[in-house]
Amino acid sequence: MTTSLTDTPTDREPRPSNKQPRFKFGRVVLFVVMIGIAIVMLYPFWVMIATSLMSSAQFLSGGGFSFESWTSLTATIPVGQEVLSSTIICTSSILIILLIGLPAGFAFSKLRFRMSTLVFLGIVSAMMVPLQAILMPEFVNVTRLGLTGGYAGAVLVYAALGTPFSVFLFTTYFRGVPDELIEAGIVDGLGYFGALWRLVVPIAIPAIATVTVLQFIQIWDDLLVGLLFIQNTGERPITVGLAVLAAGRTTSIPQLMAGSFISALPAMVVYLVFQRFLVKGLTMGIDR
Amino acid sequence: MTDVTAAVPRARRLSLRRRRQFAGVLFALPAIVLVLGFIAVPIGQAVYYSMTQWDGVTATWIGPSTWSQAFHNPTLWTALQNNAILLLSVPFALGIPLLIAMLLHQRVAGWKIFRSIYFLPTAISWVVLGLVAERFFAYEGTLNSIIHALGFSSVNTNMLGYESTALSALGITFVFTMIGTNTMLFLTGLATLDPSLEEAARIDGAGRWRIFVHITLPHLSRFIQLAFVMTVIALFSALFSLIFVMTGGGPGYATTTMEFLIYQTGFNQGDFGTAALYGLILFVLTAIVGVIQLRLIGSDE
Amino acid sequence: MADITFDGVTKVFGDDIRAVDNLSLQVADGEFMVLVGPSGCGKTTALRMLAGLEEITSGTLSIGGAVMNNVLPKDRDVAMVFQNYALYPHMSVAQNMGFALKIRGESKPEIERKVLEAATILHLTDYLDRRPKALSGGQRQRVAMGRAIVRSPRAFLMDEPLSNLDAQLRVEMRLEIARIQRLLGVATVYVTHDQIEAMTMGDRVAVMRGGKLQQVATPQDLYDHPANEFVAGFTGSPPMNLLRAHLENVDTMSTLVLGRQRLEVPAQYAASHDLPDSGAEIVFGIRPEDVEVLTHDEAYDSITTRVERREALGSEILVHLSLLDAGDTNTFVVTDAGSLVARPTTLVAKMGPRADVKAGDTLSVRFASDNFHFFDATTGLSLRHQTTSMATA
Repeated sequence: MTTSLTDTPTDREPRPSNKQPRFKFGRVVLFVVMIGIAIVMLYPFWVMIATSLMSSAQFLSGGGFSFESWTSLTATIPVGQEVLSSTIICTSSILIILLIGLPAGFAFSKLRFRMSTLVFLGIVSAMMVPLQAILMPEFVNVTRLGLTGGYAGAVLVYAALGTPFSVFLFTTYFRGVPDELIEAGIVDGLGYFGALWRLVVPIAIPAIATVTVLQFIQIWDDLLVGLLFIQNTGERPITVGLAVLAAGRTTSIPQLMAGSFISALPAMVVYLVFQRFLVKGLTMGIDR
Repeated sequence: MTDVTAAVPRARRLSLRRRRQFAGVLFALPAIVLVLGFIAVPIGQAVYYSMTQWDGVTATWIGPSTWSQAFHNPTLWTALQNNAILLLSVPFALGIPLLIAMLLHQRVAGWKIFRSIYFLPTAISWVVLGLVAERFFAYEGTLNSIIHALGFSSVNTNMLGYESTALSALGITFVFTMIGTNTMLFLTGLATLDPSLEEAARIDGAGRWRIFVHITLPHLSRFIQLAFVMTVIALFSALFSLIFVMTGGGPGYATTTMEFLIYQTGFNQGDFGTAALYGLILFVLTAIVGVIQLRLIGSDE
Repeated sequence: MADITFDGVTKVFGDDIRAVDNLSLQVADGEFMVLVGPSGCGKTTALRMLAGLEEITSGTLSIGGAVMNNVLPKDRDVAMVFQNYALYPHMSVAQNMGFALKIRGESKPEIERKVLEAATILHLTDYLDRRPKALSGGQRQRVAMGRAIVRSPRAFLMDEPLSNLDAQLRVEMRLEIARIQRLLGVATVYVTHDQIEAMTMGDRVAVMRGGKLQQVATPQDLYDHPANEFVAGFTGSPPMNLLRAHLENVDTMSTLVLGRQRLEVPAQYAASHDLPDSGAEIVFGIRPEDVEVLTHDEAYDSITTRVERREALGSEILVHLSLLDAGDTNTFVVTDAGSLVARPTTLVAKMGPRADVKAGDTLSVRFASDNFHFFDATTGLSLRHQTTSMATA
């Protein structure tokens, strides 16, 4: 068999690289598809905004435009107060989750003790326990401790539910911190406590941001705990307020939508602000 | 003359290793206590209370017969059935985000903006999403508008109003809510994939599909695993908000899942004991799914 | 007084891995002591025990006369330079260097002064505000040193600080470190696997292998009077030629039998060494620079060889020679893992850069008669009558 000496590589068309597709057409199709998906994903926002910009009467009769639902919103539900409640609950819970999770993550990754692997697995597997499975005893316990009524009970429950995930993330993240760094701190004079807060935590900002964002969204948007563990109507979080409103018979749908939008805002803002940390934090957390 | 060197300190009691271990225990303690107290202990309590007649205040011991009694309750079976049917939505809740993640991974112009948009619904409370979904599926809602616009003007659905379709509506809404998180997860996974692996395969002559199956998927398996677990947990727990707001469990018991049944039995009917029992069943279910997942997809934990 | 004493220090990992075996060593105040050996020889473990980062299984470690076995690192007043520098990534150079002082609670002006002082010695004054990630490898290494210097500790501990630098930088930094140490006069324990670093930097060098101390002596002593085969084969570049041969004693004359070639052993060695009985095996050592290539055959005390390979280094030529008619003689070479491996009889000799040799040539060589080394064929220990440089305290 003779091989043609003229069959050089340049005679054939070059293989397309990853970034430059062969046909521009494909990219355009892709773009259109993504716009389509974006429309679908943005739909809830559209509904909220569009519906809320009508008055109750207009809504029932099919159309119109009015700010009435927004202006009369506070008369129907105490939005400001409920948002405040949600904020307090979220901040307190996340604070506890971080203050408990960071040392634990440090302990499981760097300060190994007897059975630490077992204990770690135990805590992490608690991630898989749905709240409803332990709801009844949990509720009774918290009530007996006198913690229902105010924020305390809900905050503790949220903290307990969020701890396994944060411990998991922090432990895997800290495993990637070189031992030498901590040893250098120890030789320089730090104790373990100092090493944690002054050396490890500053490096762990992406992980902290990830936990904060994810927990914030989870807690802010939660209904069940807020519904059951906060008896005091004055301290209700916004999700409960909305749910109660929705269950009501004389509810104005546009108002409901207006309230929904307000409820959705903070979590969205938190996400948008912290999103660049999210990818990095998740990557480090899962890769190991 | 006293020997000054006698002041040499005797080696301290605690060795270095002991000190480190002590610090380790101390640092982990708050987490352990919290998880024990608020998660582990209640599980044990639930076991006890499931065998009692309990109204939240007083518990009268009955014994294991409560269990056999509970399983005769048709509502329980309906709820279990509903959970099982909803599991069918999990492949969609995983597959669609996977597709979207791959699309995003192609890095079209402005993909970062798309990524933010796709994740945005996740930030919204399920309560809100449920309310919006209710609007969508309602008789005068958007779904019907779309159907009419497509030309089927005679068709009018009311998915949430009929037993046969309410669960599907719930399932569709569930898939929608999971798209954001799972897409983000898979996108992260794709980002960690070493491009040189794909290039090597290309040079070896592998086509698109083969590359996907033999290189992309295996790498993503850890992420798929995690997404699977998170999705199922959400299905068995977070779905509550959607149900509460969209259907209240109805029509009838058509959309009553285990997590909703527990709430209903406990707080609407005041039967804490049975609710605790249902809770344990839910827990066992979740554990089974977890174990199956470990076997199926494999794990290195 | 900050001298360091290892007294029978042993470190056992798990059930049976003796990383450090009965190490007894003393470092005087202000002395630069190098721990050298192949990887896994225990030198880093010994250093970490000194720092307090590793638990001591048995034996006593003292600093300045006080027992330190269970004392926390921060109370030992020692500073450590890590192989990967371990700089705090979220702090500037100045903050990195001042960190230990800050922990001790020193005043801000004091800290600034000391940091500036150390930075000047290390030529880091232009980088004080930078973060580690904005520095080159060499700069980071100097910051790591600065961090140690600033503390004015009782001792410096250095764990292979130069191994991550490129060759040229390494040579520069070798001189820098030695200079600074002399300037500050602080006891220093320096760990490396590079015997050139050991020889050029240390006041004394401790050679370790498999957890055991082989010999501790000044570099020159180590070179001229190695205590055993291992040390002999480890030092020098290229390392000493070690040949296994038979000894024949007739009356007062000893001859080394290298197959069919014979080499007379000068009388001085019988006096200064414990040579074995006639017919016994012995290990003969001769350094490459003591192998003289002859321009003309001298039958008397020359050995005939054939050139197998030549390596032109620019400044000199190394020739690898095989002994003709060598019989069951063979050469030992020390591998990186620290073991002695037998190779077919080759000798390495040094020749001038313009020497005209090529593979296949026959060469006559002569060994410089003042520089013979003899080692026991079984134990590997030097057969020389011991004077002072043996491997004890």
